[in-house]
Amino acid sequence: MAWTWFHRLGSPPYIYALAGRLTPWFAWPAGALIVGGLYGGLVLAPPDWQQGDGFRIIYVHAPSAWMSLMVYTTMAVAAGTGLIWRMKVAHAVAASCAPIGASFTFAALVTGALWGQPMWGTYWEWDPRLTSELILLFLYLGYMGLRSAIEDVQRADRMSAVLAVVGVVNVPIIHYSVTWWNSLHQAPSVMKLAKPTMPPSMLIPLLMMLLGFTLFFFAVLLVRLRAEVLSRERSATWIREAVSP
Amino acid sequence: MKEFLDMGGYAGYVWPSYGLTLVIVVLNIVWARRLLARSREEARRRLAMRGGAT
Amino acid sequence: MSEYPGDTEGATAALVSAVSTSSASPLDAARLALSRDLRLAFRKRGQLVQPLVFFAIVTTLFPLAITPELSRLRDVAPGVLWVAALLSSLLALEFLFRDDAYDGTLEQYALSGQSLTWLLFAKTAAHWLLTGLPLALMAPLAGMSLGVPAAAVPGIVASVAVGSVALSLIGAVGAALTLGIKRSGALLSLLTLPLAMPVLIFGARATELAIKGGGYAAPLQLLGALAVLGVTLAPLAAAAAVRINLE
Repeated sequence: MAWTWFHRLGSPPYIYALAGRLTPWFAWPAGALIVGGLYGGLVLAPPDWQQGDGFRIIYVHAPSAWMSLMVYTTMAVAAGTGLIWRMKVAHAVAASCAPIGASFTFAALVTGALWGQPMWGTYWEWDPRLTSELILLFLYLGYMGLRSAIEDVQRADRMSAVLAVVGVVNVPIIHYSVTWWNSLHQAPSVMKLAKPTMPPSMLIPLLMMLLGFTLFFFAVLLVRLRAEVLSRERSATWIREAVSP
Repeated sequence: MKEFLDMGGYAGYVWPSYGLTLVIVVLNIVWARRLLARSREEARRRLAMRGGAT
Repeated sequence: MSEYPGDTEGATAALVSAVSTSSASPLDAARLALSRDLRLAFRKRGQLVQPLVFFAIVTTLFPLAITPELSRLRDVAPGVLWVAALLSSLLALEFLFRDDAYDGTLEQYALSGQSLTWLLFAKTAAHWLLTGLPLALMAPLAGMSLGVPAAAVPGIVASVAVGSVALSLIGAVGAALTLGIKRSGALLSLLTLPLAMPVLIFGARATELAIKGGGYAAPLQLLGALAVLGVTLAPLAAAAAVRINLE
């Protein structure tokens, strides 16, 4: 029973239609959660006793950082699925993930730097989290570079899938080594970007933003996936009905 | 209102952060939708060409 | 414009026939592949030296760019040595698959019925013996030119030797992924360097501790762990990539 469902997911026309139907179910709740989270974070949450209103950057930085990791993992899982079960649709998912993830990794880096300047006195401090984010950005760029360098779509899919799987195994290793490296050379006063304990008035908007961004990712992914699936199905008969205006 | 915009003096960091994130959110939406529209357009064109050829 | 010695076909044919017709174990096949690679490499000894010369040149760049003062150079020596080693190993990656992909040997390896993973492991081992190990032996010399005390030599050799094992393995994956892509140098670097950063971190730390005269066992063990992980996973990934390229 579950196997049939899995197989249907691998069918491009089914995915194209399903993705189209599902998109609003992710998009609208995402919008609501993000708007609500913004209001809660910018207006309702009290200023931090240490960082004042500057801490509010967390409401865009943390979701971006979360996205950068979550999207990469999704990409690697999809790529691995495509590699093992030879599912074109899974490869299409992986391809769709990369630009989204890279853009939010960039956002995480810039918002992290903007948070750092008033807090640490410098935009960039090679702290472990931002350094890991930077390396993650390199991994995304490498993935996208490899894809674009290989002309044959199927080969590009499978090669970049190997890279994605190798990359995802490396992400914890990179994070561990960067944290280890940073702890060796720690300046005495450490300004952590994460907040250890948060009152509900601060925490709830954060959770809303995290969930909202996650749903947003899926909404964008579904749209991109439809575009990918279409462009890969050169001469399939189902397209005629799907794209007739 | 002015206090809100001032963000306790951190306005120069908070608002650009939110602004950039908003830009990236909007960019993702626009880019994805444009990709889909272009794919659909291309598919229609391909079908039309083949339809005309046969 | 080929300068490949005519006997590559002979060496390959001998290997492939020995490996496919007999019931050779993966270990035998690997040993044959290793010795073949070593033999072929020694015919082009000139090429082997190039990564080492590159290493020497890059090491020289830093005093020229920073200062001739040994006391200051000693401070940056671990970083300089390791960045130079990293870049040299990147350069040397070209020799890993290029010739075999060009003359069809890789394809024969894949079709031979022997474990491609083992064969690629053998190739990577040969590559390390030809590039990583010499680098590890050369590194102390470069270090001493940067004001590093002689007592640090064992630590430098150990850390570069173990680290270069990991680098060869990571590089093999990168090289396999970029097979068949023209002018892949920049892309190869973009793929390999981020994956190599943990090696750099632990290796440079081990070297730094060795220079300061302290115990470098901890980072060296972490380096070893990376090397072991690489040995287990990298040949698999490389073999997958080689097969994809041959499809």
